[in-house]
Amino acid sequence: MTIQLIRDISDSSAYWGAAWVFGCFPDLHVVCDAPIGCYNLLGMAVTDYTDALPHMANLTPTAIREEDVINGTAQALVRTINDLRSLGALAGKRLVVISTAESEMISADHGQLVKQLDPEANFFWSQSLDQNEWQGRERALAFAWEHYGQPLVAPDAPPRSPKLVNIIGPSLGCFNAPADLHEVRRLIEGVGGEINLVYPYESKLADTPRLAEAAVSVVLYQEFGSGLAETLGRPQLFAPFGVFGTTQFLLELGALLGTPTAQVEAFIAREKRTTLQPVWDLWRGPQSDWFATVDCALVAGRSYVEGLQQFLGQELGMKVAWASGRPRRDDEPDNIEIRRRLHAKAPAFVFGSINEKIYLAESGARASHYIPATFPGPVVRRTTGTPFMGYAGAANIMQELVNRFYDMVFNFLPVEQVRPPAGGPPGHGGPPPPPVATPAPSAETMPWSEAAAARLNLAIEQVPFLARISASRTLRQAAEQLARNQKLDAVSLELVEEAMRQTP
Amino acid sequence: MAEMIPLTPADQATPQAVFTGGTCKLHPQTMCPAFGALRVLARLEGAQPAMITDAGCLYGLTFVTHFYAARKSIVAPALGTAELSSGKVQEAALAAIAEAAKEQHVTVIPVISLCVAETAGLAEELLPTEIDGKPVVLVRVPAYAIHSHPEAKDIALAAVMRRFIEPTVEQEAGALTLLGEVFPADPLILDAVLRKMGGRVMTTLPGRHVDELRLAGRAKAVAALHPFYRETVGLLRERGVAVISGAPVGAEGSAAWLRAIGSALELDEDRVEQVAQEEEATARGFLTSQPLKGATIMVSGYEGNEMLYARLLIEGGAHVPYISTSIGPNMLTAADEAWLKSHGTEAVIYRKAIEDDKAAMEHWTFDLVIGTTTLAAHAKELGIPAVYYTNMLSVRPLFLAGGMIASLSFVRELMNRKPLYTRMVDFFTEPTV
Repeated sequence: MTIQLIRDISDSSAYWGAAWVFGCFPDLHVVCDAPIGCYNLLGMAVTDYTDALPHMANLTPTAIREEDVINGTAQALVRTINDLRSLGALAGKRLVVISTAESEMISADHGQLVKQLDPEANFFWSQSLDQNEWQGRERALAFAWEHYGQPLVAPDAPPRSPKLVNIIGPSLGCFNAPADLHEVRRLIEGVGGEINLVYPYESKLADTPRLAEAAVSVVLYQEFGSGLAETLGRPQLFAPFGVFGTTQFLLELGALLGTPTAQVEAFIAREKRTTLQPVWDLWRGPQSDWFATVDCALVAGRSYVEGLQQFLGQELGMKVAWASGRPRRDDEPDNIEIRRRLHAKAPAFVFGSINEKIYLAESGARASHYIPATFPGPVVRRTTGTPFMGYAGAANIMQELVNRFYDMVFNFLPVEQVRPPAGGPPGHGGPPPPPVATPAPSAETMPWSEAAAARLNLAIEQVPFLARISASRTLRQAAEQLARNQKLDAVSLELVEEAMRQTP
Repeated sequence: MAEMIPLTPADQATPQAVFTGGTCKLHPQTMCPAFGALRVLARLEGAQPAMITDAGCLYGLTFVTHFYAARKSIVAPALGTAELSSGKVQEAALAAIAEAAKEQHVTVIPVISLCVAETAGLAEELLPTEIDGKPVVLVRVPAYAIHSHPEAKDIALAAVMRRFIEPTVEQEAGALTLLGEVFPADPLILDAVLRKMGGRVMTTLPGRHVDELRLAGRAKAVAALHPFYRETVGLLRERGVAVISGAPVGAEGSAAWLRAIGSALELDEDRVEQVAQEEEATARGFLTSQPLKGATIMVSGYEGNEMLYARLLIEGGAHVPYISTSIGPNMLTAADEAWLKSHGTEAVIYRKAIEDDKAAMEHWTFDLVIGTTTLAAHAKELGIPAVYYTNMLSVRPLFLAGGMIASLSFVRELMNRKPLYTRMVDFFTEPTV
């Protein structure tokens, strides 16, 4: 067996995927059989930065401790469920217990115990050691249907109405889901569809049987969700990208819904004059000429990679240097290779995660623009205004790229540096500093005069909250470097002032 | 300072019953403990971490490391059931170490062994101690055994320090090592004051370079500014480095700390006394205004240094009845806890859960909550001004008179923001008809 290496992992595990699906249901409580870290990272630290939620309110850990690793986690699970009951946290809610990598390591299979504790509750073996988040999400959706939907639905029950559409897929931890969902919903309604369920994102677990009521499934992502759509047995479409991809989708969906062609075409015509008007205007303007002159790299979920290849590559004629989708196919570069490629030559635009952003930073690729297109990485994408999908997505991406072009132009224009007034704050912007050798780290603290230290503090007070630490460090290093250059053994007020003049 | 808004009168805020903590501890409050190790290790220049763990753990820890620790690429072997059950963990670790060693300018390869690798059994004796001349250091931080991320910072720091600290070295008279992640300006301010007493700050740990770890044993004393560096302190103590616990916070704390430092470094007593009195006088001058008088404040972080902050607030006039933290009690926390208990603090909760904090919210009426993200969100839902402890602490100096003035002034401003919090909660809470 050869050992596979991972660099800056891109996909999480099935435990995360399942919890991100189950976590959407307000009428379900999830107990994860997990050490404190697996709870904290998913339930607080990371979901705060993927979904901008202060924490996941319906997730509780068994908080596996050392003794549980030796003796098994059954006692911890019993205690957890009892405590939840005593707090009233399970009132009116279903309960699902899910395994994690650590509980699977010690074979803590609680299928029977969970049933003994609560006949209505279920145990989900997440296969977290072997499956990725996409598989975990798919299996969680199947599990929800199997336990909470299908048993309550008559076999072969017809759709409640031929106009009803389910949107399947959007869940926690899905990049940009609110904006894409908003656009896809708008498109479906535009051609005469009515939204039945947005599952699981806007559904209760108790709504699950109603999945059977819809006539058509629109699956938001290729990464997962089509398994559930197939089980439901209704015709399914994937959410569309680009001008022409979206038009094709609308025609197909209109046909599935039995909407008159004239009505669909009227909607498309109206969209051309509204949502898509900027695409047409930018295409006719000088902006679109640039698209032929630059290249891009795409690292994102499978849907985004294929959608962007189609829109940017085929519809706008931009050169796609290379792409890597998630889950990754064997013929696509992994992160070791992506890093090597970005270090060797960075395309003008890199769509990706924080990993690609770090690789660009490592190689000092200043001429390359990074555009967030997937997790991991902290980014708020909670408004409806930033779609990648649909007509609005085409307009948004085009607008975004053109604005980066404008930035690029701005950064290349000559500028004559104006010194900030004496006493001005450090780090308040300005042109990029000339490249300087990284100052050798000083292992020893260099003495600072009281006046110098006071000046540093005063200056830092002027810097915005979140930038203070780095501004303070930059200025401190700059002042100490000046002292070293001048063969001085302490930092004086004059040196701080000088460093502030030099540090943009 | 802006005009003050009347606060809850202290007598109304003090209930009769004794606080007994939450009824259960369902949701412990700490970052993943292992993150503390990554925070310390990833920030060392030239460190190339190799993480030995499963995909989900790797995803979460890499995510937070890339956000809060360093823009540093991290390697790991893919570990699934096949590798873990067939004794391949060792082979996997070796493969990751070899990949890490390919990087430029490697100063150390920390091998970070996490829950599943520890459960599978990763043997230290089968790992190399170096590869191509690059040091390899095993750091064991299974979350199930460590319980809080501050304590994992200590484990990681001690592990690398053991490797790099100079084995035999002459101690330098008057030199002090600072121990604890502090605002970058704080060591400068402390150094300036120490120099007036005839001493100096040698280095601040956990540092950014292995050279700083090498230097640590050369100082005559170490100031454990944060109270959870037990292993690190033990390591230095073994080498004859004197240990001073506590930190120079507030008027009383600063003067006492300076005297303790002076004594440990064997500095001239008169000079030390003069500086200590000057510091105390400056601080007392500011404190006569008692900027936080009448305010009841909750301090509930998970960084392990909450008691320092609470002391500062109390000297500023605040009532701080409840403090909670993620770390466990130990010798380094004892003095602060005793001081707090004699200054109106009724409960200090170690290894806290959100249930403890919420119980405290019901027990007392707070004007300001300085808490974990979960608790701060809860307080904001009640219209109480609240901030995330970690943000609050990490963006301004804390020590001596200058740090105290900066910190207390900010706290005072936060409480003046009460109408904003009220207006928000009124708007976003559904009216009950």
